Amino acid sequence: MTLALEGVRVAHGAHEVLHGVDLTVARDELLVVLGPSGAGKSTLLRAVAGLTPVSAGRVAIGERDVTRLRPGQRNVAMVFQSYALFPHLTAAENIAFGLIVRDVPKAAAAERARQAAASVGCGHLLDRRPGQLSGGERQRVALARALVREPDVFLLDEPLSNLDAELRVEMRAELKALHARVGGATLHVTHDQVEALVLGDRIAVLRDGRIEQIGTPDEIWSTPATTFVARFVGSPPMNLLPADGPLPGLAPPGRLIGIRPGALRLGSEGAVASVERVEVVGEDAHVYLRLGEHSAVARIPSAERPATGSETHVMARDADVHVFDPTTGKRV
Amino acid sequence: MRKLTAILATAILLTGCGGAETADTPPTVRLLVFGAPEELESYRTLVDEYVKVSSGARVQLVEASDREDLITRLSTSIAGGSPPDLFLMNYRFYGQFAAKNAVEPLDDRLAKSTVVKLADLYPQAVEAFRWQGRQLCLPQNVSSLVVYYNRTLFQKFGVAEPKAGWTWNDLITTATAMTRNASGTIVRGTESEGGSARVAVYGLGVEPTLIRVAPLVWSAGGQIVDDERKPTRFTFEAGPARDALRDFVALRLAYGVVPTDEEVEAENDESRFSNGRLAMLLSSRRVTTTFRTVKDFEWDVAPMPLYGKQPAGILHSDAYCITSGSKAKDAAWRFLEFAIGAEGQRILASTGRTVPSNIEVSKSPAFLDPTQPPRNAQVFLDAVPTIRRVPTISTWPEIEDATGGILENALYRGDKLDDVIRQLDEQTRPIFARGVSP
Amino acid sequence: MSRRQLGFMLAPYVVGLVGLVLLPAAATLVLAFADYDLVQPPQWTGTANFTELAGDGIFRTALLNSLVFAAVAVPLRLLVALGLALLLHRRAPGVGTARTVAALPTAVPEVAYGLLWLWLFNPLYGPVNQLLRVGGENGLTALGRTPPQWLTDPTDARAAIIIMSLFTVGESFLVLLAARLVLPPEVYELASIEDATPWDVFRRVTLPLIAPVLGLLLVRDTILSFQVSFVPALVVTDGGPPPYATTYLSLFVYRNAFEYLRYGYASAATVVMLLVTVAAVILQWRLLRRWQHLRARG
Repeated sequence: MTLALEGVRVAHGAHEVLHGVDLTVARDELLVVLGPSGAGKSTLLRAVAGLTPVSAGRVAIGERDVTRLRPGQRNVAMVFQSYALFPHLTAAENIAFGLIVRDVPKAAAAERARQAAASVGCGHLLDRRPGQLSGGERQRVALARALVREPDVFLLDEPLSNLDAELRVEMRAELKALHARVGGATLHVTHDQVEALVLGDRIAVLRDGRIEQIGTPDEIWSTPATTFVARFVGSPPMNLLPADGPLPGLAPPGRLIGIRPGALRLGSEGAVASVERVEVVGEDAHVYLRLGEHSAVARIPSAERPATGSETHVMARDADVHVFDPTTGKRV
Repeated sequence: MRKLTAILATAILLTGCGGAETADTPPTVRLLVFGAPEELESYRTLVDEYVKVSSGARVQLVEASDREDLITRLSTSIAGGSPPDLFLMNYRFYGQFAAKNAVEPLDDRLAKSTVVKLADLYPQAVEAFRWQGRQLCLPQNVSSLVVYYNRTLFQKFGVAEPKAGWTWNDLITTATAMTRNASGTIVRGTESEGGSARVAVYGLGVEPTLIRVAPLVWSAGGQIVDDERKPTRFTFEAGPARDALRDFVALRLAYGVVPTDEEVEAENDESRFSNGRLAMLLSSRRVTTTFRTVKDFEWDVAPMPLYGKQPAGILHSDAYCITSGSKAKDAAWRFLEFAIGAEGQRILASTGRTVPSNIEVSKSPAFLDPTQPPRNAQVFLDAVPTIRRVPTISTWPEIEDATGGILENALYRGDKLDDVIRQLDEQTRPIFARGVSP
Repeated sequence: MSRRQLGFMLAPYVVGLVGLVLLPAAATLVLAFADYDLVQPPQWTGTANFTELAGDGIFRTALLNSLVFAAVAVPLRLLVALGLALLLHRRAPGVGTARTVAALPTAVPEVAYGLLWLWLFNPLYGPVNQLLRVGGENGLTALGRTPPQWLTDPTDARAAIIIMSLFTVGESFLVLLAARLVLPPEVYELASIEDATPWDVFRRVTLPLIAPVLGLLLVRDTILSFQVSFVPALVVTDGGPPPYATTYLSLFVYRNAFEYLRYGYASAATVVMLLVTVAAVILQWRLLRRWQHLRARG
């Protein structure tokens, strides 16, 4: 099943949160909606699920227009940020909940629950209650519950953000593998850009209720459509300097140039810069520079880092330069 | 810290000061009474008059809401050590306090008094308050049962008014003739409540209590208990008592002349009479004060009908008792002298509340005033010679409560007579056994 | 906070507890073995009071009435409170007023509340029966039967007392409302995504999650039921209609103590009342624990 949003607007009272979102998710595609807090990502997800009413626009799953249908009729499955497991039911009963409620016979429901649990790797936890499970285990149970129903669309609301960093990396990989196995159109919401780049078949960057760019991770990375996308994806964020600023000649004047930290070279050639501070992150060093009245960050191998307060020279390669219009923020 | 002590000390001093009385100020006599608003008004009048003529005496009237409230207040205040000095109580209920030595005997004071002499009072009432050889309380009234009737209604329907010498059968006939529906036609009130004959006026109102049945039994020559002085059981199974009971419940079941229990619950008999929907009401003098406020119709009283061979009435009497724990007995006695003396009795009689226990006052215009209803007040005095009383044992209130329920069911639900008599006996035997006799 | 400060803060409550609850309870326990009328000093009588209670028909009736009342009124009250809480937990226009109205009868003083119902239940002129007579003729209801004789028929009178108790569920209502509001909303959102019917949601989600609070309220209401019936029985039906249809244990104790001045006898009845309450609480507690145990083991 495909998922399509056309001109979807959502308002909370008089205040509009989503301003005309257009989006499609193909069959078996994992689309990540990426954005900062308050961008409207969860609202978008809830609009698809039917938990929040749509004030204008259309939501279609496959051939069906589901805009006016209540959540139970849309045949979607959702994994909440807090997993929303029933504390009084065992993992098996949690997974089978959707089936039981649809009057699937108990034996069949239990068997399907077992299989779903096995496919996400929590088959040995079926008799425990959520209170007895760790964060990662709970997440698997929530996933199994979504899977067991074989819905048309999967909706995942920041499923990894409650996990600690190490577990997050592990679950990320498992999620990707799971999606590869099981398929299904999936809308995955997150604020973590690394997660988006790793997991998504495509990424939609959302800001203040509007889509800034939709594209493959590669497109988002190498050809960001706006300065917001450029700075949001990548850590440390891309440096934005005026074209006729400290690094002239890379673009016509009146434009903004964007250079990723990794594309800056420190050495004896280029613009003069003073080193404000240096952060060492393992093999890399993030060098915070001052160029006249502008600042920039460079990422260089840790071994070559300069001392704080020293002076150095900065230059960038042509090919690594992105050009933006300063008023619209859009790529030129 | 010192400021705190100072404040505390001042507070204690002030509270202490509030109640202090010097040796000169007379003690306040507290009198505990209960009654309907009009009755309480009578007592207030009496107290105000006493205060006026006694120059400086202080009397505080403490008004309880009903008999149970009065008993509760009395017993708790006795236990608390500061009882009221005087209380007014019916002879049927004072026994429990007499038996517990809570009442001060008055023989010595009576002997020395120049205002009150026992010979001035009706002996029937005075004897009711003798306990084990001593006079404990002094009665203010002596009333029997009479029939209040609505003259206007009788004239409207053209039925002969009750008169002296009439019998129980006359009562039934009259009541039947006065039970009418909204258009004025005679109806039988025994048809089921949902029936088409909805009664608008009932012929008779009477409480299903022991003290209404007892006079019938006595009139027929029977007894209600085995021994009037030291009763151990009821004797309703014997001939005249059984018949009286049977004829009493027939009022509703056979003749339908009294309101149903539902109707009594919705509107009690006194209220029904005041609203002009009850032709006759069997009651004591107590309701006169309430009925004197009725302006819409004329009413009067007639004697109790003769049930058996001899006339018999039942005593209704309230008396003033001084509590043995009182701290102002002399002051209380002075008020008592006033209240029971001719002056106090005249005042109370003119309010309509009492049939005075003072023989002279009862024959005077203060009671027999022809300008105030009931004009036929002589009826009360004529009933006094044949008055009898129920036993005054200490547990009598419990007995009345127990029998009240049984008689209610007998009258309204038509319980079998033998069952009723058996229940009356079984439920009250243990209570009789616990009682202390005068 | 130092222990001394803690002591000071608890002192008023402890003083009240000891002075107003524990000491009178101890006095009642002692009085149960004596005869006391408040006027003369108490006289020791051993177990005579209890022997008399055992043979007293009125006491047996009162005990039965109280037990039946507890058995019927307590579940009904909880049901009403739960229904109201579930009805009024969502935000909607006027829901604040509705909640206040639901809790208001509990705030009315008990005697005033009783007197109000005395008027409401008046068999001929009271609004309840007037309403029931609408559509009927000659004083019958629309179905052709007489309206219930609230205060004069034994069964109807008991029903009246129970009906009166159904409106004073304010405390339970507020507790259940709070309990419902703290339940995680995502769980309900998930249930709606899974297309659960409202009955499914109630049975499988709300009820199990609220069950601990309900259990507690059940125990509390059972204890209270012995007192809740007192003022209505005193003010509205006066223990009647005969024979003793609405005489509950509490009214029995009141009558014997304050009207007949038999404080020892009444204390003995109070002790029995206490034992019955304790037994009921222990029974319920064990049943609830067993049920919780069964659920936990799955």
